[in-house]
Amino acid sequence: MSDPVLAFEDASFSFGDVTILDDASVALEDGTFVALVGPNGSGKTTALELFAGLRALDAGTVTRPTTTGRTVAYLPQSPRFRPGFTVREVVDFYGSLVETDVDADAILGRVGLTGAADRRVDALSGGMTRLLGLAQALIGDPPVVVLDEPTSGLDPDIADHIFEAAAAMAADGRLVLTTSHDLEAVSRYADRVLLIADGEFVLDGSPDALLEGAGETSLRDVFSATVAGSGRAAVDVDAPTDGGGE
Amino acid sequence: MIRARPVVAVANREVRTLLRNRALLAVAAVFTAVVVGLGGASMGSPGGYVSLTYDLLLPVELLVPVLAFAVAFQSIRGDDERGTLSILRTYSVSRAEYVLGVFVGRALPAFVLVVAALAAAGVVAGLGAPETSSFLATHSAGDTPLIYGRFVLFAGWYTLATVAFVLAGSALARTDREALAAGVGVVVVVAFLADLALVALLTTGFVGDLIGVLVGLAPASAFRGLVLELAIRPAIAADPGVATAHPLVSAFGLAGWTVAALAVAAVAVWRPVEK
Repeated sequence: MSDPVLAFEDASFSFGDVTILDDASVALEDGTFVALVGPNGSGKTTALELFAGLRALDAGTVTRPTTTGRTVAYLPQSPRFRPGFTVREVVDFYGSLVETDVDADAILGRVGLTGAADRRVDALSGGMTRLLGLAQALIGDPPVVVLDEPTSGLDPDIADHIFEAAAAMAADGRLVLTTSHDLEAVSRYADRVLLIADGEFVLDGSPDALLEGAGETSLRDVFSATVAGSGRAAVDVDAPTDGGGE
Repeated sequence: MIRARPVVAVANREVRTLLRNRALLAVAAVFTAVVVGLGGASMGSPGGYVSLTYDLLLPVELLVPVLAFAVAFQSIRGDDERGTLSILRTYSVSRAEYVLGVFVGRALPAFVLVVAALAAAGVVAGLGAPETSSFLATHSAGDTPLIYGRFVLFAGWYTLATVAFVLAGSALARTDREALAAGVGVVVVVAFLADLALVALLTTGFVGDLIGVLVGLAPASAFRGLVLELAIRPAIAADPGVATAHPLVSAFGLAGWTVAALAVAAVAVWRPVEK
């Protein structure tokens, strides 16, 4: 196994009384597509921000690539690029921030946006905006790409396209780490699944290994069985939704 | 160390953002119309450029902060709100480089606008001047376009300082509402409250001869002091004898506020994380 390019060791982080990571450790290798899943409020986005270097741990250590240039790309959930600019201009702008030459058309071609290169970003659909975000993540050829729910709110075909593009980035030798609630897509595309709950990575393995280990037939069932009773102290998901029959 | 490449890249994007924003272009047109209109109102005035400078001083003091607000209040906050600030942070751009790029890209067009509008006002006012200029008879030998040019440059400098102030507010704000409040607050403080504080100090009687120094400590009064002492005073025949401001303090005050505001913006824009 190669050295990890991204890792937490005894990592802790909290927002006041809300614990996001509690002495958690995990190591991620290059060339893999890792999905970070977990209940709402479990701290997936914060964990990504900690991995990406946008926040600092309260305690513990984080390992990131030590190469020169851009080391970690990050795509926030539902990004919006500055209005008034075309797709190509956005790529050119971010390309001007790295030392290497950037071929905007080639990068847009990687995510299927060649036909929209001259379209203004304020005229893009939600899916196209996410794809532009993915294209941006390729600029500077970073060894780690971190994506926060890149398919939320998108139709299944575009969501599949985004997952395929992300998986292709990993196949190129990068570590791609994404959060997602689309467990069906995760089971199809991800090499490895991490489940975060109560400040810990409570499950870690390939989708097949997790299914086998839990004796379940779908990742959705593994998820529900694992997070039952954890991380949702304030939400009763079994509460009647018809107002109690009144 | 601040590198030119990211600063230029960010500044270039900011300039293009301004030029593509129709609302901002409308604000620029209104500003120009008001300033040039005031210049037109002074056309042929026997007071010449001194009179024109007096006519424009107060409007510029008030309008420039409003212009700075329009130009800069959404700049940094907008990047944060859209999520693009998080994206930018994964590139090799430091906080100082980003803030300086935004400042250059936002303040430079505002500077050019203010200087160009005031220059146009000067040209328009000069169009109606009598053949043998009565300016010279009225105001010794000092009333020349060069004197007015000093006022124009001081106004440009005042523009840079006020844009820096608004940028600091935009960096400190965590919501759009806060950014709006901070921008309006900057306009009110720069244009009104700082002067009111000086007046309040004066009424206490403790200030005494220090008034010339104190006016240099507030942005608008520092600008006014520079104009009165270095643009108008040399042009008038009879020296009033009493200094209205200390030019050196005013110059350091205006520069100091600019640097301090940019430093605040650079510190507030994001919390650094050890890589």
